[in-house]
Amino acid sequence: MKYLIVVLSLTLLATVARAAGAPADDAIELRFENRRFTPQTITVRANRPFKIKIVNASKEAIEFESFKINREKVVGPGETVTINVPALKAGSYDFYDDFHRDVPEGTIVAK
Amino acid sequence: MKTFLCLALLASLALLLHARPATAQLDPFEFEVYPAKTLDRGMLEVESLNSVVANGHRNGEEGTSKGTLPSQSMWRTAFEATYGLTDRIEATAYLNLAKPRGNNLQYAGSKFRLRGSLFDQGQLPLDLGWYIELEYNRVPKFDDQKLELELRPIIQRDFGDFSLMLNPIFEKILVGSEAKEGFEFGYAHGIYYRWMRALTPGIEFYGGIGMIKHPDPSKEQQHYIFPVVRGESHGIEYSVGPGFGLTRGSDRVIVKFNLGLEKIIGALFGPSSDWLY
Repeated sequence: MKYLIVVLSLTLLATVARAAGAPADDAIELRFENRRFTPQTITVRANRPFKIKIVNASKEAIEFESFKINREKVVGPGETVTINVPALKAGSYDFYDDFHRDVPEGTIVAK
Repeated sequence: MKTFLCLALLASLALLLHARPATAQLDPFEFEVYPAKTLDRGMLEVESLNSVVANGHRNGEEGTSKGTLPSQSMWRTAFEATYGLTDRIEATAYLNLAKPRGNNLQYAGSKFRLRGSLFDQGQLPLDLGWYIELEYNRVPKFDDQKLELELRPIIQRDFGDFSLMLNPIFEKILVGSEAKEGFEFGYAHGIYYRWMRALTPGIEFYGGIGMIKHPDPSKEQQHYIFPVVRGESHGIEYSVGPGFGLTRGSDRVIVKFNLGLEKIIGALFGPSSDWLY
């Protein structure tokens, strides 16, 4: 029981410390419309966390997914969702709509 | 951050080394490590969790056997259906089936679970989640404890291409001969290298020490290491690998192979709040 309390307390402490690791507030907008992402290429600074605001302006649900940055998020039609992306090493990271694999892939370029 | 992860690992290790007689906790129907993120709102996932004891024990209540039937050659299958209630809470129902050596596939029990994530992925230095499950066993030869409660805090941290997932497990028997006992402790931990979408190698660790207050003798505890590969191809997710028992109380070799399929079927509720649900 003591162990349970210790683990739960540490979990709570970590949640309270949320501000410490939170990414910057400015989000990059990524719009999905007419079966394509706009912009197709997102350029960000390397080694710095950021956010992407995904706007689904289509009439279908989409699933934004990027395997390499370990993010996947369903965005309903007409909905907007913001995701946190960790600091990335310099390089290219592809993203796609996992529900519609014929949609052209996009790229996040960190430099 | 590193201090927190070290503390959690050291606490697990300390409990492993502390030894007195009791029963060990491990769910042989579910060799799966959970991430902090839940299924998205409106998504349905159907999974088949399978394992077979290739080299186990020949007596009941030894190794992964929790009833009178021996673990040797036991085939276990759990069908699991999960629905994303909100962006941070999912609900799951399980149907557990087992095929003892020389017998047909039989009903073994049912489980119901809620799992949630706290905050959004990447909002905190650690991704955190919670897990609460009720396990209902109607067939004593597979498990002689009728109703069990399982609680898991879920802790996840990505390090570049690596993901570390920790699932410490606290289980309490609610109805059964051991209902008056306290909490048991177990774990399901995993570390994975995101190499390719179709092929992610990793190592998983499962085990149980028995009662927290009176852990089993070390040799009687169950601890397993599973080198695994998992991934997704053509819409089907998989996770397969052999598990090797590390103690005399463990089965020697178990092979797991899990398959899953996700599909959006529509949301029951509107968008979630900023962090709670």
